[in-house]
Amino acid sequence: MANVTFDGVSKVFGDGTRAVDALDLEIHDGEFMVLVGPSGCGKTTALKMVAGLEEVSVGAIRIGERIVNDLTPKQRDIAMVFQSYALYPHLSVRDNIAFPLKLKKTRKDEIDRRVREAARILDLEPYLKRKPRSLSGGQRQRVAMGRAIVREPSVFLMDEPLSNLDAKLRVQMRADIKRLQSELEVTTIYVTHDQVEAMTMGHRVAVLRKGELQQVGPPEDLYQRPRNMFVGGFIGSPAMNMLAATVEQRNGTFEVVAGETRIEAGGEILATHPALASYEGREVVLGIRPEGLEDALLVDGSAGRPRLRGQAVLREALGAETLIHFSAAVRPAVTDEVRELAEDIGDDRAPALTGDVEAATLVGRFSSQSKIREGDAIDVAIDERALHYFDPSSGDAI
Amino acid sequence: MGATRKRGPQLRGLPFVLPYLPFLILFGIAPMVYALDLAFTDAGGGWVGVDNFTRTYNDFRFMPAMKHVLIYTTVWLGALMVFVVALALLLHGRASRASSTFRFLYYLPGALAGAAAVLVWLFMLDPTVSPASFLLHHVLGADFFAQSIAPGNLPYLFAMMAFWTGAGGWIVVMYGALNTIPPDLEQAARIDGANAIQIALRLKLPLIRKWIAYMLILSFATGTQLFVEPEIVQHASFGLVPDTWSANQLAYQLAFRFADFNGAAAIAVDLLAIGLIGAVVIVMRTGLFRADD
Amino acid sequence: MRALGLGVRTAILLTFAVFFIAPVVWLLLAPTKSDEALITSSPFSFGDFDHVALAWKHLDAFSDHVYRRWITNTLYYALSATAITLVVSVPAGYGLALGNFPGRKLVLSATLVVMIMPAAALVLPIFLELNALHLIGSSLSIILPFAFFPFGVYLAYLYYATAIPRDLLDAARVDGCGELQTFLRVALPLAKPVVALVFFFSFVSDWNNFFLPYVMLADSNQYPITVGLSNLLSSTPSFNPSVGGGGQSVNIFKPELALATLLAVVPVAIVFVLSQRALVRGLVGGGVKE
Repeated sequence: MANVTFDGVSKVFGDGTRAVDALDLEIHDGEFMVLVGPSGCGKTTALKMVAGLEEVSVGAIRIGERIVNDLTPKQRDIAMVFQSYALYPHLSVRDNIAFPLKLKKTRKDEIDRRVREAARILDLEPYLKRKPRSLSGGQRQRVAMGRAIVREPSVFLMDEPLSNLDAKLRVQMRADIKRLQSELEVTTIYVTHDQVEAMTMGHRVAVLRKGELQQVGPPEDLYQRPRNMFVGGFIGSPAMNMLAATVEQRNGTFEVVAGETRIEAGGEILATHPALASYEGREVVLGIRPEGLEDALLVDGSAGRPRLRGQAVLREALGAETLIHFSAAVRPAVTDEVRELAEDIGDDRAPALTGDVEAATLVGRFSSQSKIREGDAIDVAIDERALHYFDPSSGDAI
Repeated sequence: MGATRKRGPQLRGLPFVLPYLPFLILFGIAPMVYALDLAFTDAGGGWVGVDNFTRTYNDFRFMPAMKHVLIYTTVWLGALMVFVVALALLLHGRASRASSTFRFLYYLPGALAGAAAVLVWLFMLDPTVSPASFLLHHVLGADFFAQSIAPGNLPYLFAMMAFWTGAGGWIVVMYGALNTIPPDLEQAARIDGANAIQIALRLKLPLIRKWIAYMLILSFATGTQLFVEPEIVQHASFGLVPDTWSANQLAYQLAFRFADFNGAAAIAVDLLAIGLIGAVVIVMRTGLFRADD
Repeated sequence: MRALGLGVRTAILLTFAVFFIAPVVWLLLAPTKSDEALITSSPFSFGDFDHVALAWKHLDAFSDHVYRRWITNTLYYALSATAITLVVSVPAGYGLALGNFPGRKLVLSATLVVMIMPAAALVLPIFLELNALHLIGSSLSIILPFAFFPFGVYLAYLYYATAIPRDLLDAARVDGCGELQTFLRVALPLAKPVVALVFFFSFVSDWNNFFLPYVMLADSNQYPITVGLSNLLSSTPSFNPSVGGGGQSVNIFKPELALATLLAVVPVAIVFVLSQRALVRGLVGGGVKE
C-alpha cells in the first residue's frame, strides 16, 4: 500500500522530444487513477517511469516515501500488466503466475497457496496446466493479471490491458478489474486512450496531452467542468460541438452570438462564468455537448430558449435515444485542439477545417421520440445552463 | 543481481556481447587490417605502395588464374540464378508431397561439401567407372579421365561441382521465401487472368528479389575464392592441372612455397575488392536496398 | 494443355533429381564392388558386403590407421568449436538485438562486413597471427578460428530482433529478474530454434572446412577428414599413376576411396537430414522474416 507521486517529472528522449513535461501528480494510497489521452500524449511513458522501465530525465518519482528514480524495477515492489500481456510462452499458466514468486525464492507451499488463490479469483483454475498459446485473449489477459496480483505489490500498473479484446469482453473485464481493485485496495495506475474506459473505471482521471497534464479530478468534474478545450472535447462521447462565437453587448446585456443564434448571457451564466464579460467584442469558442441539444418540438416553452436552425444530415437511432447530425449556419471552431481531437478519432477531413467555413455539422442527442428524419429542416433547442466557453487562443475555459 | 544502485540502461546487453568481441577482433577485424597492411608493405615492413599489386599482376600465372576464376564464377552464378530460381518456382507451383521429396533429394548433396564432393566427381568424370560415361564421351569427347579434365573444361566442371553441392540449400531457401508470399496475392492474380507462368515470372519472381540478391552476393564472394576443387583435382591429376590454377591457389603458393606473404596478401586484397564490387553491382542491379515493397 | 505443362514440369524436376542423386547412389554402391568390377559392371549394380569389409580393411591399414584419427580429429574440432560458438554467439546476438549500448551498431556492422568476406581471404593473416602466438600446430589453431562464427551471431541477432517482443523482457524485469536471469530464464529457453540452426551451420561448416586446416596443420596425424581425403588421394595410384609401388604396397583403389568419402560424409549427412525442417522454418519462416 502506498501513494505514488510525480514531482516535476519530465522525460526527454535522445532526439529532443519531450514525452512528458513537468508532470506533477499525486496518486493516493488505494486509489484507481486513470491516465488518459490521445496516442503520443506521454501516458505510457509516465507509467513506464513509475515501473522503472524508462529513466526519469528531470524530477522525482516517489512510491510511498521513497524516491525510486534509481531503483531497478524489481526493487520497487510494483507489478505490471502489459498491453500485449507479455506471458512467457514456454511456461504453463501456473508457472507464469508463479514466476515472480520463484524469483524471490518464496517457499514452495506459499507459492502454491498464492497461485491457487489468484487462479480462484480470476477463474483460471481449469487452465493452470495449459500454455499461453492455447488460451483465448480474455484468458491470457487474466493470466497477466494473475501474475501481477500474486506478488501482492504496493502498486499495480496497467498499460491498456483491454485494448486487444473485443468490445463485449472489454465491457465485462472493465467491471471485473474495477471490482478486483476495490477488493484488493491496491494503488492502481491505469493507462488507456479510451475515454469511456477512463470515465467508468477511475476514482480520478488525469488527462494528458503532448506530455502535459491538462486536468485531474473525479470523472464528473472533468465532464462538467473541463478546464480547457482539449479536455472538453476529449471527454464525452459523442464529442462536444465546438463553435466559433462572439460576445456582444446589446441594451446592457451580454449575448453570445453564433451565426443567427443569440444566447443571452444572463445573471446565471455570468455568475458561473464571470470572465465572459471581458470578452466583449471578441471571439470565444462555444462548446455545446450533444446532450445539451434537443428537438425543439419536444421541449415545452422552447420559444423562449435560444435555438439553432439547421438541416438534419444523418440519423442514428440507438433505441434509448437518437443521435442527429445536422448542419447549421454557424462557424466551427478551428484551433489546434480541435484538429488534434479530430485526428485522434481518425477523422482526416481536418483540412476542411482550415480557413473560413460558414457551416458546421453538429451532433445532438435527442429523445427517441423525436420524429426528425434525414433531410428535414429542424429547430434545435439549446440548454443554456449546459454551455461551455473557451478562449480561442489559450484554450482555457472562461 | 540485487545491486541497490541501478546501472543505467546505457550499457544494457554489453556483458552478453563481450565474449564475442575478442573473436571478432582476433579472427575478423585484425586479419582484415593485417592483410591490408601486408599488401602495401614489403617483407621488412616498409611501405611500398602498390608494388605488390603490380608485381603480382605481372606474374605470368596471375592473369590465367584470374581468368579461370572469372569464367568459373560467371558460369556458377548463372547456373544458380537460372536453375535455382526455376526449380524453386517449379516446385512451388504445385506444392505436394512430391515437391518436398524433390527438395530433399536436391538438398542431400550439400552434405558432401568440399573435399568429399570433389572426390565423388572425380569418379563421375572418369569415363571408365562413371554412370555418365555416355555424356562424357559425347559432350566432352573424353574416354579417359585425363581427357575429362582438359584445361578448357575445368571452369565448367568446377562450376558444376559447386552447383551440385550448393544448389539444394539455396533451393530450400528460395522455396521458403516463396512461401512467405501471401496466398491472397496469387489468388488475386489468378482472378485477374494470369496463368501459371505469368504468376511465376511477374508476381513471385520480383517478390523474392531480395533472396536472389543475397544468394548472388554470397556466392560471388565465395566463388572468387575458389580453392578446394582445383587443389584436389590437382592432386589427383598430378601435373595436368597446375597448382596455381585459381587466384587463391596462387596466393597460397606465394605464401607457403615462396614465402612471399606480401604478394599473397595483395592477391587476397584483390579478391576481397572484387567480392565487394560484385556485391555493390548486384545490389544496384537488383535494387536490393530500394524502399521495400 | 495443362497435362503437357505438368509433363514438362515433371520431366525437368526428374532430370535434376537424377543429376543430384545419381552420384550419391553410385557412391553408396561403389564400396561393394572390387576395383575391376567398378570398371566392368554397371555403375548401379550391387556387389556384396564382403567387398565393403575388404575395402575397410585396406583403408584402415593405410598409414597406420590414420583414417580413424582423421575422423576423430574432425569430430573433436567440429564439436569443440561449435560448443564455443554456441556459448559465445547466441548471447552476443541477444545483446546486439535487445541491448542498448554505445557501439552496438558498430559491432553489428563489423559482423556483417566480416560475414560477407569469405574465410579464405582471412586465413593467411590468421596464420601469421597464430604463428606469432606460437599456436601453429596445436588444435587451438583450428578450434579458435572455427569458433569465430559471425553468421551464427547474425542469425541469433535476427531471431532475437524479430521473435522476442521487448515487452516480454520488461515483464521479466518487473517480475524480478536481473539482466542475467532475464536471459537465462526467458530469452534462452525461447531460442531453441536458433540454437539448433547455429549448431547445424557451425558443425557442418567446421566439418567440411578444407582451407584453414590445410594451411595450419603440417602433421598429417592432426588432419581433419577433408584434408585427409586429399592426402589419401595424392598418395594412391588410383588417379595418380606416378605414385605407388616403391616398397610399400598401398591398397587404396577406387572402392577404398569411395568408402573413405562415404564414411567422411555420414556424420554430417545425419545432422543434415535431421535439420532440414528446422532450417527452412528458422531461416525464412520465423527467424529471418521481416
